[in-house]
Amino acid sequence: MWSRLRSLAGMLFRRDRFEREMRDEVSFHIEARAEDLAREGLPPAEAMRRARMEFGTEDAIKDDCRQSRGVRWFDEASNDLRYALRLMRKTPGFTAAAVLSLALGIGANTAIFSLMDAVILRTLPVASPQELVFFAHGTGERPGASSNYPLFERYRAIDGMFAGITAFSPTGFKLTSNDGIENVTGLWVNGSFHGVLGVPMAIGRGFSSDSDQPTDRPTAVISDAFWLRRFGRDPSVLDRSITLDGRSVAIVGVTAPAYTGLVPGTNPDVTMPIAVRAITEPTYLTMHDTWTDLTIVGRLKPGVSAAAALAPVDVAFRQYMSEEENKWIAKGNPEAFAKAAFVPASRGSGVLRRQYETALKVLMGMVAIVLLIASVNVANLLLVRSAARAKEVAIRMCVGGGRARLIRQFLTESLLLALFGGVLALVVAQWGTSAIMSLFNAAETPLLLDVSPSPLALAFTATITLATGIAFGLVPAFASTQVDLTPALNHAVVRRFSRRWSSSHALVAAQIGLSIVVLAVAALLGRTLYNLKSIDAGFTPGNLLLVTLDTYGTPIPEEARVATFREVLERVKTLPGVEKASLSRSTPIHTSGNARALVLPAATSERIEDNAAFTNPISAEYFDTMGIRLLRGRTFNSLDDAESAQHVAVVNETMAKFWAGDRDPIGMTLAFKGNPKDQITIVGVVEDTYQMNLREAPPRTVYTPVANAEQPPSGLTLELRTARNPGAIAAAVREAVRGVNRSIVIRYMRTIDQQINASLVRERVLATLSAGFAFLALTLCAIGLYGVMSYTVTRRSREIGIRMALGAARGRVLRQVLSQTFVIAVTGTIIGVIAAMMATRTLDTFLYGLSERDPATIGGVAIALLVISMAAGLLPARRAATLDPVQAIKTE
Amino acid sequence: MGKTAELLPGTLDMLILKAVSLKPLHGYGVLLRIQQISGEALNVPQGSLYPALYRLEHQGLIAAEWGESENKRKAKFYTVTAAGRRRLREETAEWNKLAAAIGTALNATPDEV
Repeated sequence: MWSRLRSLAGMLFRRDRFEREMRDEVSFHIEARAEDLAREGLPPAEAMRRARMEFGTEDAIKDDCRQSRGVRWFDEASNDLRYALRLMRKTPGFTAAAVLSLALGIGANTAIFSLMDAVILRTLPVASPQELVFFAHGTGERPGASSNYPLFERYRAIDGMFAGITAFSPTGFKLTSNDGIENVTGLWVNGSFHGVLGVPMAIGRGFSSDSDQPTDRPTAVISDAFWLRRFGRDPSVLDRSITLDGRSVAIVGVTAPAYTGLVPGTNPDVTMPIAVRAITEPTYLTMHDTWTDLTIVGRLKPGVSAAAALAPVDVAFRQYMSEEENKWIAKGNPEAFAKAAFVPASRGSGVLRRQYETALKVLMGMVAIVLLIASVNVANLLLVRSAARAKEVAIRMCVGGGRARLIRQFLTESLLLALFGGVLALVVAQWGTSAIMSLFNAAETPLLLDVSPSPLALAFTATITLATGIAFGLVPAFASTQVDLTPALNHAVVRRFSRRWSSSHALVAAQIGLSIVVLAVAALLGRTLYNLKSIDAGFTPGNLLLVTLDTYGTPIPEEARVATFREVLERVKTLPGVEKASLSRSTPIHTSGNARALVLPAATSERIEDNAAFTNPISAEYFDTMGIRLLRGRTFNSLDDAESAQHVAVVNETMAKFWAGDRDPIGMTLAFKGNPKDQITIVGVVEDTYQMNLREAPPRTVYTPVANAEQPPSGLTLELRTARNPGAIAAAVREAVRGVNRSIVIRYMRTIDQQINASLVRERVLATLSAGFAFLALTLCAIGLYGVMSYTVTRRSREIGIRMALGAARGRVLRQVLSQTFVIAVTGTIIGVIAAMMATRTLDTFLYGLSERDPATIGGVAIALLVISMAAGLLPARRAATLDPVQAIKTE
Repeated sequence: MGKTAELLPGTLDMLILKAVSLKPLHGYGVLLRIQQISGEALNVPQGSLYPALYRLEHQGLIAAEWGESENKRKAKFYTVTAAGRRRLREETAEWNKLAAAIGTALNATPDEV
C-alpha cells in the first residue's frame, strides 16, 4: 500500500521525470532490439523499422504504463475537468442558472443549519460537556429544573457518583459608572461553578470554595464580551473594581472568548458567588419556603452512568420532598415533583431551544425541499443539454470510450457545477444568517448567537454539495449514455426523445409537487402571523410609547419610589406631543407581571393557576391612555390613591364572570392569599386585554391603584399616547426622567407595536423565511417548467412544422403544447396536495386561527401553482404555434 | 524466433519476477531472459511487457534503478524486492499445484473413472 502511494505521489509531483524516463526506457528497448536484429544481418534502417514494428504502438503502450502506475485516472480527471470548464464557459447562461440555483439551495441549507448548530447542536464550551447533567424533577418529556439552595446542599452530600455539583441562577445587575447606571446581565453561582464545569479562562481565575464563605468584599468573574465592551480587553482589569447594585466588586477573572454561558442565546456579563447574594438576602441559603430558579448541574465521575447516579439523587429528592417544611412545594402539581430526573447538559439548557427546536426543524425541512427543487432543475438542465450532446456521446462510445468513462465525465461536470454552487453558497449563507439574525432583533432581549460557520456547518455544506452534485449528475449521466448507437448517429435521434423526455416531465411534475408543499407551509405560517396581528387585543395600538423605569439596586429608597414615578409621570405629561400618560406594573403583550392566588370561598382545584388572578397596579389614567373601554362602574380617581382610602379594584370581564357569574360584580369584594384581611371592593369592569401574548386568551385580571400597593414596585412602565410618531419624543422623555432623578434606569423604551412584534418574533421569523423559501421554490419551479417545455418545443419543431404543413391549425398546436403542460401541472399538483396534507401536520403548534389542512389555503396554493405552471408553459406554446412550417421542416 | 506458445493470462507477472530474481535486468533483457529460460518456447508480447513492469514496480514487487547496459548505455535495471520474492514463491507453489492437478486430470484413463 505504502509503496503504491509513494510511487503515485512520485508520479504526480515528478511528472516530467516520469515521462522522460519512460521515453528513454522505450527508446533503449527499441534500439537494443534493432542492434540485435542488425547483428542477425538486417541493414540498420530495416532493423530499426522492424524493432519499432515489433514493439507495437508506442503511445498506447505508454498509456498502459501510465495506467499501471495509477496516473491515468488523474490524467483523465484533469481532462474531464478541463472539458467541463470549457463547456461551462461555452454556455454561460446555463452555467449561471445552474450555479445560482445550487448556490441558493445550498446556501439556504447552510444558513438554517448554522442556526440549528448554534441553537441545538453545539455542545457547551466547557471541559467534557458529555459528563454534565442538570438535576431536574418530574415525569414527562420536560422535567423541571427548578430547585432551592437547601436541596442543592442535599445533593452535594451524595457520595461517590459525582466529580462535582454546582448551581447557578440568572439575574441582572445595575452597573454604575461614569456613564450613569446601566443594566448588565448576570449569574449567581456556587463557588465550585468554574471548577466543576471546567470553564476556560482568558485571564485571572474562576471562583473556588472560598467564594462560598460569607464576605463583605464581593468578587466577580466577567465575560469576554463584557471585558471587550467595557474595558477594551485591558488586562489591568484584574486590579479594578466595578460598582454593581451599589456595591464595589473586585474583578478576579475573565472567561475565555469561546465560553458563552450555559444557555444558548444568552451570555451573562457578570458572574458572582451566591454568597454575595446572601448579603442582601440572608435567608436565601437556608430557607425552605421558596422554590427558585436555581439550576443544579453535576459532573458524573468517569465510569459512572447517569442511571446509576440518578438512584441516590432520587432517594435524596424524595426524602427532601417528604419533609414537613417542604411538603408545600409539590402541593399544586404533584406529578411534577414525583421523582428526580436528569436532563443531559452537554448542550446547555435553554428557552431558546425549547422555543425554536421544532421551528428550526420545519425550516430545515423547507430548505431541504428547496435544494431538492434546485437539484431537479439542474438535473433537468443537464438532461436537456445531454440530449443535445447525444451525437457526441454516441461517437465517443463508438470509438471505444467506455460507458463508465463517459459517466465519469458527466459526473465531473455536475460535481464542478455543485462545487461552484457550494462556494457561492457560503456567501449566500453568510448573507442569509445575518438577515435571519436581524429578524430576531425585534425580540426583547438580544439574541447572542455565534452563527459564523462552524466546522460542523462547513462539513455539512461540503457534504450536501457533494451529495447534490452526484445526485443530480447521476440521472443525466445514466440517461444520456444509454444510447442506441445507430439511430443516434443518424439524425433519427429525435425518435428517442419521447422516452427520455418523459423522465424530464416527471421531474418537473415532482418539482411542482414539492413547491406546493413549501408554498402551503409558507401560506399557513403567513396567515397565522396575519391572524395574530389582526386580533383585537382589547386596547388601542398605534402611537403609544412604553418606557420601563427601574429603581432596583439604586439609591432611591423603597418608600420614595412611587412618588418618584409619579413625578416622572407629571413631568412627561407636559412634554409637547404627549396627549395622555399613565403608569402601570405590567403592559399588554408582555411576559411580565404577577398572578396572585385569590381567597376563594371554596377552592375548586389544587392548581394555583385555577385560583389565581393576574394583578396589575396602575395609575388612574391607565385605561384612558391605553384605550381600554370601561364596561360598568367606574375607573380609579385621585381619591382612591389616598392612604386612608378604601381599597378598590377594577376587574376585566373574564374576572367579573369568574368572580360574580351572572351577578353584578360592582360592590363585591375580593382578597388575595397572603393578605386575606385586605378586602378589596370591585368598583368597575373593563374589557379584556391580551396580556402575556396574543395566543393566550386574556387572563382574569385585577387592576389596583399603584399608590396603595402592598409593596411599592421597584419598577413601573410609563405609557405615553402621542399625537405623532412616538419615536420623536424619545429623547425628551429620557431628559425628563433624568431631570427627576439621575438614578432611575430606563430599562426599555419601545412602542406598543414593537412590543407586539417582539412577542411575534418566532412567528415572523417562520413566516418571513418560509415565504422567502416558497418564493425561491416557485421561481425555480417556473424556470424548470419553462426550460423543459421550451426544449420540448424546440426538439419537436420539425414534427410540429410537418403537422402544420399538413393543415393543423395554429390554435390546435397551441392547445396541444398547453395540454401537455397542463397534464404535468395537474399531476404535480395532485402529488403536491397529498404531500402537503401530510407535511403540514408538523405545524399544528405554530398555527393560529386556522387548521393545518385549511382547505382555502391549500386549495389556493394549488390553484396558484396551476396558474403559474400554465403561464410558464404559455410562452413555449405560443412559440410552437407561431412556427414557420417551412423554416421548421428545413432546419434539422 | 521460431514456433512459440502464447502466454497464459496472468503468467507474465510471474515470469518477470522469475527473470529479475535471477539477475537484475533491463526491460529488453527481461524479454530475452524469459525466452531463454523457457527454452525459446515462450514469446512475450512486447506491448504488455512495460505496463507489467510498471505495475509490478507500482506494487513494490520489483525495484528499478538506472544503470549501464552491457554496451555502455544508460538503461533502467529491475531487481526483485523481498515482497516480490515472497510473491514469486507463492505463485510458483500455486502454479505447480495447478499444473500437477491439470496434468493428472488430462492423463486420466477410462479405468480410473
